[in-house]
Amino acid sequence: MEDHKTLNSNVYTVSELNSDIRKNLESNYSNIWLEGEVSNFYFHDRKHMYFDLKDEGSKIKVVMFQYYNKDLIFDIKEGLHILINGYVSVYEKRGDYQIVALDARPVGKGSLILAFERLKQELEKKGYFDPAHKKKIPSMPGKIGIATSAGGAVIRDIISVLKRRFNNFHLVLRDVNVQGITSDDEICKAIDDLCEYGVDVIILARGGGSLEDLWAFNTKKIAEKIFDCSIPIISAVGHETDYTISDFVADKRAATPSVAGQVVILDKTAETENLKEMRKKIKNLVKSKIYIFKKEVKFLIDRKIFAQPRTMLDGFGQAADEARIKLVENIKEIIAARMRTVSDYARLIDKKDMLKKVQASRTVIGNINIRINSSIKGCLGSKKSKLRLMLGKLQERNPVVILNRGFALIYKEKADESIKTAAEAEINQKIRIILGDGILKARIFDKIYKKLELGLKNEN
Amino acid sequence: MKIEKMSFEQSIEKLEEIVKELENENISLEESMEKFETGIKLSSNCLKKLNEAEGKIEKLTRSGDGKLIASELDLGKGNK
Repeated sequence: MEDHKTLNSNVYTVSELNSDIRKNLESNYSNIWLEGEVSNFYFHDRKHMYFDLKDEGSKIKVVMFQYYNKDLIFDIKEGLHILINGYVSVYEKRGDYQIVALDARPVGKGSLILAFERLKQELEKKGYFDPAHKKKIPSMPGKIGIATSAGGAVIRDIISVLKRRFNNFHLVLRDVNVQGITSDDEICKAIDDLCEYGVDVIILARGGGSLEDLWAFNTKKIAEKIFDCSIPIISAVGHETDYTISDFVADKRAATPSVAGQVVILDKTAETENLKEMRKKIKNLVKSKIYIFKKEVKFLIDRKIFAQPRTMLDGFGQAADEARIKLVENIKEIIAARMRTVSDYARLIDKKDMLKKVQASRTVIGNINIRINSSIKGCLGSKKSKLRLMLGKLQERNPVVILNRGFALIYKEKADESIKTAAEAEINQKIRIILGDGILKARIFDKIYKKLELGLKNEN
Repeated sequence: MKIEKMSFEQSIEKLEEIVKELENENISLEESMEKFETGIKLSSNCLKKLNEAEGKIEKLTRSGDGKLIASELDLGKGNK
């Protein structure tokens, strides 16, 4: 140390001393739990809480900052008995020492029930109790994890139930305090450890007790841990009539720890029986099925067709023979009947008589022939001369003859459409002029309307 | 799914299904023989599973360096 400090070794500044005391207190009282009655409660702007905790003879200042009081599941108020967790510190500006509270819990049945109800409602609203989130408990878990006190009667009860049900069970115990202010932290850690180790199901177990005793299973911390856990959890806390928050959040509630032993694994003897029963049933069912099939097959085998197939044909053969005989008889009868009809007709026809009749008919036909020929000739003669006359007349009107006389036909260039009037024609229109000995292709270059009188010559 | 890979619950469920199917009279002989074989295999497998587990009780602790240790626990003496 330096000289002047050695000289004034006991002289501090106020700030130094307060700072020193603060450091001392904070390291000596870094994590304490304190129970007392609330007084002088002041909720500044509904942010930070300032109050005193007191007992019959003393009191101490407490501050609970907004960050820590915002998640409280109960209201701190004047006269309430509470338990706080925190550290002792000094407000150096004034030299006041105080507790900085990090957590607070109600004390006393009434407050606990209120807090329980409030947390239950809050979690229910968040869906923590929703059956949809509940995982199935395996019927034959390979490893059963359990978080409970290794010294209690609870673990012994569970083990004796397990032994009865499934003698070769595998249990992994994680020893925890199930009572006391830090037990919820311990149980949360145990759940993590069992998950890390790898078990198929976890039992949280504790014997009966007061609401305060069971409080570790009623905190928000444990509710969140159970809800987030990926391994199915059975909550087996207290007596049948005790309900804890963990019971509601867990994948299954066992009314008591021994019930947990029944729920967590199947009864081997019963299951073996059940399996053997099912085996027997399957065997019997198949046996009876085979028996029925056998009977059906035997019935078929015994049928005549299989036993003496030839006898089946015998009947058919006889019928076939009968049918054949009948058929032949029928045909014979029909032929005989036809023969009779033919000879009847034959008798009616006399050969000589027929010849005479044919001769007479031939003469008649010859006469008719001659008559027809002459009448046709006459008819043709007059028709021919009429035709010649008409051809002559036709010749006079033949357009080719007319064209040869100097007349012309005028057609449009392409279409077979004649132009008969000047009005029909257009200037520049291409036309064809049909003459007796050929066709002239021409173009109209002008039109002059003038009605030709009889006897007038062409305008050209 | 292979019978050996089925969980105990799945095997039991399948077995119950087979019993129900075999009870149906319309099932053919071939099918019932197939179901029969599967059923016997499933039940044998389940019976085996019931007995194959090694029974033990362990206590899980954390060592000083934070490692998880599972040690056999003798409960007769109420160990803590």
